[in-house]
Amino acid sequence: MTRTNAFGDELTGPQEQLAAAYDLLERVLRDHSDELAPFEQRNALKALAALWHVMDGLDLDPPQVYDLGA
Amino acid sequence: MTDSPYWNPRHETMPRDRLEALQLRKLRGLVGWATQRVPWHAERLRAAGVTPDTLRSLDDLRRIPFMTRDEWMAGQDENPPFGHVLAAPADVAIRYHTTSGTTGRTPLRVLDSMKDWEFIAEAWCYGFWGFGVRPRDIVFFAFSYGTFVGFWGAHYACEKIGCLVLPGGNMTTEQRVAMILDMGATVVCSTPTYALRMAQEARTMGVDLVSGPVKRLILSGEPAGSIPATKALIERQWGAKAGDTAGMTELGTIMMFESENQPGGTHIIEDHYIEEVVDPATDQPVGYGEMGERVVTSFGRGFIPVLRYRTRDLVVKVPASTSDCGRTWDLYEGGIRGRVDDMKLVRGTNVYPRAIEGIMREYPEVEEFQVHLYTAEDIRDEIEVLVELSDGADVEAMTRAMAKKLADAHEGLRIDVRTVTHQTLPRFELKAKRLVDDRTLIGGQGEKRTQA
Repeated sequence: MTRTNAFGDELTGPQEQLAAAYDLLERVLRDHSDELAPFEQRNALKALAALWHVMDGLDLDPPQVYDLGA
Repeated sequence: MTDSPYWNPRHETMPRDRLEALQLRKLRGLVGWATQRVPWHAERLRAAGVTPDTLRSLDDLRRIPFMTRDEWMAGQDENPPFGHVLAAPADVAIRYHTTSGTTGRTPLRVLDSMKDWEFIAEAWCYGFWGFGVRPRDIVFFAFSYGTFVGFWGAHYACEKIGCLVLPGGNMTTEQRVAMILDMGATVVCSTPTYALRMAQEARTMGVDLVSGPVKRLILSGEPAGSIPATKALIERQWGAKAGDTAGMTELGTIMMFESENQPGGTHIIEDHYIEEVVDPATDQPVGYGEMGERVVTSFGRGFIPVLRYRTRDLVVKVPASTSDCGRTWDLYEGGIRGRVDDMKLVRGTNVYPRAIEGIMREYPEVEEFQVHLYTAEDIRDEIEVLVELSDGADVEAMTRAMAKKLADAHEGLRIDVRTVTHQTLPRFELKAKRLVDDRTLIGGQGEKRTQA
């Protein structure tokens, strides 16, 4: 099923993949942060911080991520 | 899609009703976040009876109390170093910045996390991309890179876009001009005043900027970027297009930018901000085309939620249709028109520094100027404009013409124009301060006046 944003608009395929990449990063950082080496954790956080703005720009209303360190 | 003239095509061309729905959704989220994380906001919102659920339309925004710089500063004094405004633990922050502090007051201190710092660059990306800056560009920053946030976000925006960034901190003006030419910079970022200063230096060096590589100037930090005469002078001296932007440290980044079609104003970044315009005396909203004070609500920086912040900036909002660039975002015609507290009352006439600059910049022979207010014979307010003119100028005819233009623009108020020796007036890199008010209290035995 195609993912929709806060307006009910369907995402395109590439947009959906970007959103999935964000979700995956967010999940890894939330569930496994302690298991990551510094280079893994900090680069993943930086990527999450950048992708957060893709989510926001697509009206997917991402929650704040300060608790993850971003 | 990468050839889009818009950084975010969906949001920049969104129909107004959807844009307002987006703003309302983000406003509810911001109110919920501020209530949950910032006791200072929570108390104020509770007292006003505002919860996310009670915000049913954007009109409900007006139920939220104004936030002022004085309150923010008082909180900082009571609870140093950051006051009562943080919504996240300080140890998550990666950046510390301050307001410029040019008015002599203690600066406001702000923090940003990784995600917020990306937002700060993101807002600048709208402006750079919208003014035609692309990954192939080489961008020079005439900026000192201190704690004042200034062009920091713009620097990171250009990295995000993929430009080659030339950081021009800790350099003399001559070194900056030389680097711009040596490296073939296609874009230069500076204050309007400093763009003129660099052009002046280039002339001294015998360099012709007009035939040089620079195609665009991104201006910020002073209202002059949208004063038509100043902008025209900068464009003539550089042989490049000049685009205005305006930001503030309290929000970390810009709120408005001029699009490449140069519509005579700056588009408001309306997917990240709600910008109201109110009468500063009555606090009531004013309509399109009327001058008032900007009040900003910002969605981008969750670290420091900003709800209905009184900016003291004077603006005139006009509808998006004023520009033919296709954006649905409203504009501020003429950018920032000045500050609420900039206005001076001289013998019953309102005098705005911006209006004087608009006239002085019509004369390319003016190398620098200063507006000087003083009290004559302890009984009378006087105003004069001190000017440095370039060699060869017909001083008498020119100062006479300037004085007439100034009087005509100020209900006949007599404004003397006096030439001064070269290099006696101060030069500025940042936030030029060209008005000096030396007036004393009449009958106050030399006591300085503090009011307009």
